[in-house]
Amino acid sequence: MAKKENIDISKLSFEQAIKKLTDIVGKVEDGRISLEQSLDQYEQGTELIKHCRGILQKAEKKIEQISKKKEE
Amino acid sequence: MEESLFDQPKKKTSQPKARIYTVRQVNTLIKTALEEKLPARLTVTGEISGFKRHSSGHCYFDLKDENTVLPMVMWKSAFGKLKFEPENGLAVLATGYVNVYPPQGKYQFYVDSMTPAGLGALQLAFEQMKNKLAAEGLFDEKHKKPLPKYPMRIGILTSKSGAALGDIVDSIYNRWPVAKLLLYDIPVQGEGAAEKIAKAIKDINKRNTTLKLDAIIIGRGGGSAEDLWAFNEEILAREIFASNIPVISAVGHEIDITIADLVADARASTPTKAGMIAVPDIKEVQANIDYLCENLTDKLRWMIQLGQQNVDELSFTLSDLMKDIFSAAKNTLSEFLEKILRIEPHRLLADKKIALNNVHNKIAEKINRILSNAKLQFETQAGKLFACSPKSVLNRGYSITKNAATGKVITDPSDVNIGDLVATELANEKTIESKVTKK
Repeated sequence: MAKKENIDISKLSFEQAIKKLTDIVGKVEDGRISLEQSLDQYEQGTELIKHCRGILQKAEKKIEQISKKKEE
Repeated sequence: MEESLFDQPKKKTSQPKARIYTVRQVNTLIKTALEEKLPARLTVTGEISGFKRHSSGHCYFDLKDENTVLPMVMWKSAFGKLKFEPENGLAVLATGYVNVYPPQGKYQFYVDSMTPAGLGALQLAFEQMKNKLAAEGLFDEKHKKPLPKYPMRIGILTSKSGAALGDIVDSIYNRWPVAKLLLYDIPVQGEGAAEKIAKAIKDINKRNTTLKLDAIIIGRGGGSAEDLWAFNEEILAREIFASNIPVISAVGHEIDITIADLVADARASTPTKAGMIAVPDIKEVQANIDYLCENLTDKLRWMIQLGQQNVDELSFTLSDLMKDIFSAAKNTLSEFLEKILRIEPHRLLADKKIALNNVHNKIAEKINRILSNAKLQFETQAGKLFACSPKSVLNRGYSITKNAATGKVITDPSDVNIGDLVATELANEKTIESKVTKK
């Protein structure tokens, strides 16, 4: 496995994050990485999931705000 | 001097002596006579023939009757005022005066103004211009520029003082109050109006990188055919055609159709209809935006839901995978643990088994020996017993069969023949005899 990438997850777009997450799942699913590595990946994956959920929540809130404004 | 030319013959009619005139004098006489005898201005009707326009701009043609011809001259200045194009065969009314052209000894009709005989001059001119420009394709649909859907800057070319201005502005603002309107004050009738409107269009087009007009409306209110004439002129038609900015004409009443209407990219039948043609209804636009917004919101919500599902699935998968990996690892671990635990007891057990086996073997050996000893003893004793009393068994129901004739114990069928007598010895030394019937 490639060495641990030092990327700032908070700067990833939703699509990038999802792609990374899919990659991670693929890697772990493959089973060709060590337990330790899979733990690393899991940690990263969890971060990515948090990030994705954050983006979605923000988007949801924004939509609510906008549609509220529109109705005013 | 001219007068004396006329006077002399009158006075000297009595005199026989004939006077000789020079060519010049005769021409001058004729000229003077014409000027005196003919009205200063007269109108003649006839059919145009042999029409020629000289490069100088002056025009020469004849007016024809059935059998006679009148040479006509039309100076450039007069020709410029013509509202129609003279054509051979066209019946016209020409107004002007007759004069002599001395260099050729020719009298000619000098045309000041001319109108078509049948049709009105303006009508004819309109038809002619329409046919000409149509032939060039200026009215073709393919040249019509599409109007902008949401024009934000509109140039209005009309007279500042005309009623059309208010009509146009109202008709736009009622529907589309967001547009910025720029007025270009132009004369909408009279001499030079067409040129000025054309120039305004040209200027606006040149400056449009800064003006940023989305459309131009050229308009004026209703009026007589003469009043509207500027909008039938070629110079304006060509400028409208050349305009890069879409042009909407809004001239006169519904029934007035001008060349400008035909060549413009769109026509509003009257200035009050300009808004209908030029701009959208803001209410409709708003409704459409609302609809689009609703759609967009729905779509976005859906996308977020999809995204959530995606993240959830990935998250579940990842957790499950991790669980699997760990449980697999745990299993492996516990298997090994078991194996490890199993290693010592096994060895011990095996040792114990061997020992046990040894013990068992020894015991078995011993028992066997004891058993075989006992057997040996028993067999010895039994043999002795049998040897001692062989006939004791007869007491338990066994018997000894002998051939009665020979007294030989029968152990085999060949020992007897059918019909032989056999003696069966029973217990207590008793004997019965029987006959062999079958063997």
